[in-house]
Amino acid sequence: MSHLGMEEEEVPDVLCQLENVQGLVDALTAVRWKRQQDAVLELSEHGIVLIVEESGCLQAKVYLKRELFIRYDYNARGRPRFGVSLGHFVDCLNAFSVPGQSSVVQIQYPGSDMQVLLKSVDSLDASICAEIRTRIPDTIGWDYNFEPAGTNPLTFTVKSAALKEAIEDLEWPGSSIQIILQPDPPSVTLRAEGHGDLQIDFMYYVNSELLVAFQCDHQASFKYKYKFLRATTSNMPTSVIKENRGSKISIGRGGMLKVQHLVSIAKPSMSHAYVDSVSYQQPGRIAHIEFYVKPEESE
Amino acid sequence: MKFKAYITENGVNLLEKRFLPALEKTGKTWHLYLTRDHTMFLHNLLNGDGIQSMAQFRKDSLFHDYRISSQNDDRIAFSLDLSLLLRALRSAASHSSAASATRLEVKLVKKLPPNSTQPMPFLTLETRGFKSAVIQDIPISKPLSRPHLLELQTALDTAQDIPQTLLQVPDLSQLLNLVDRMKLVGDVVDVFISKHGDLSVQVSTTLISLGAEFRRLPVIGEQTNAPAEDQNLSAQTRSTRSISRGDGQSVQVSVKHFAKSLQCHLARPDCAFYGIGPQGSCLTVIFQFFIPGSRQTDKSISFHCRLPVLDSGSG
Repeated sequence: MSHLGMEEEEVPDVLCQLENVQGLVDALTAVRWKRQQDAVLELSEHGIVLIVEESGCLQAKVYLKRELFIRYDYNARGRPRFGVSLGHFVDCLNAFSVPGQSSVVQIQYPGSDMQVLLKSVDSLDASICAEIRTRIPDTIGWDYNFEPAGTNPLTFTVKSAALKEAIEDLEWPGSSIQIILQPDPPSVTLRAEGHGDLQIDFMYYVNSELLVAFQCDHQASFKYKYKFLRATTSNMPTSVIKENRGSKISIGRGGMLKVQHLVSIAKPSMSHAYVDSVSYQQPGRIAHIEFYVKPEESE
Repeated sequence: MKFKAYITENGVNLLEKRFLPALEKTGKTWHLYLTRDHTMFLHNLLNGDGIQSMAQFRKDSLFHDYRISSQNDDRIAFSLDLSLLLRALRSAASHSSAASATRLEVKLVKKLPPNSTQPMPFLTLETRGFKSAVIQDIPISKPLSRPHLLELQTALDTAQDIPQTLLQVPDLSQLLNLVDRMKLVGDVVDVFISKHGDLSVQVSTTLISLGAEFRRLPVIGEQTNAPAEDQNLSAQTRSTRSISRGDGQSVQVSVKHFAKSLQCHLARPDCAFYGIGPQGSCLTVIFQFFIPGSRQTDKSISFHCRLPVLDSGSG
């Protein structure tokens, strides 16, 4: 420890500091759809991407761009990847989030034993530390490459709160949800058949407040498993709804569904009246969350 | 065996707003131990395992016209469900605030409960106003026999030893917030306390460790100065070095017990001190109360907890 300190002190691949831990907790919780989940973290000079996957049918990614961090030192070659338990990672981060206070957390990888190290850096006399063991990540079974379905993308943007509510309402009819996009009249239909039928229509011209954007040049219809669809909105952070954000939904080749949310990781603002304008003025302080859902095999 | 007293306004305040809610978080069943001069709420003193908790009040901080007599040197003890006492006190307090001229009397009675032929002991709270009286009977255990009472007194005496070193812990509610997260990680917390004011708490499992460290806390009792060469070392290295030097000690306690000890902040103590008992026997928390409006210790109230040690640790 005492000799040749310079040589033994290896520079970590990444050392970053974040001001708003709660924002990060919110963003990661959004992709936490069950208790035991393994996540893969991928580090690069652009930031950190967290990936979770289930049954080869559902994948979620949280993009934490380097602009989100107040400090981001990246020293690795290539793109280091490691696996952690998402639950442990969120539980540990949660410990750093003090209600009503903004606290700076430092994240470092790797530690001496390939751990992720978390540390609060606000005060010298009181500090919180956490160490999470990492594992070598599995290679992801199938490729979630999202390719556009045709020359024009099939996509719409809906208020996140409305999307969440619609998906919750579709719970009772059954296990399979059909999503239909049609150009004339421009509308999106979510339809479930099972114990009963339920159909929810978003009409573009009728309610432009709800369906903010719409792009579709031919009718498309695909079915998705309800539990995967629900995972895309079930843990949506309350800040997304409070800030009245929209979620973008696209259908790619073969019916691959992409759902995108935006979560604000801005430092909590001092004056509440300006929360909205402030968070919109800091486009860098937004975490992007993407879900990919494979359609059900058509019979 | 007789006990009868009037609870003062201050007494109602202390019990209803502060102590009983805090004690209730620690456990359901408590011994109420009354002597000529003191009233004590004791938890788990006779069973040994689990968190032990003791709150003691001088009789005049809770009561006036205090009368007690028994063949056991005027000492009476029984066990009761604290939540019932709290509920009765809350209701009595709301009655007495409605009519200012009421007095809140508490006494021990034996009554014949409905559908029973055996008279049962009760602690009765009676609010008497000009026009009405409200009587609430709280069922209690049979008063402790002389040998049991002696056993309780002996347990109480042995639970009084104070750790050699006590550290003043800042902001209990914030620490509680952290410990609540620790509960998600593991069941056992390592608590390290040094004579130079370092306190660390850590939960570890094979996959994860989560902890907090406080440095330069005020020390009461035996203290040493932190060695200068340790200043820039990691928390773990410093505690290991401190333990090997003999000026630090570490014990393992249950996270649940630790959280319960922090919940005592509901009693609104002015200071809290943590220390490790002799030979690492237990983790002790002592709460200090000031005379309102001063920085002087209110000697009429004392409150402390002892957390059983799961493993004597490396200390």
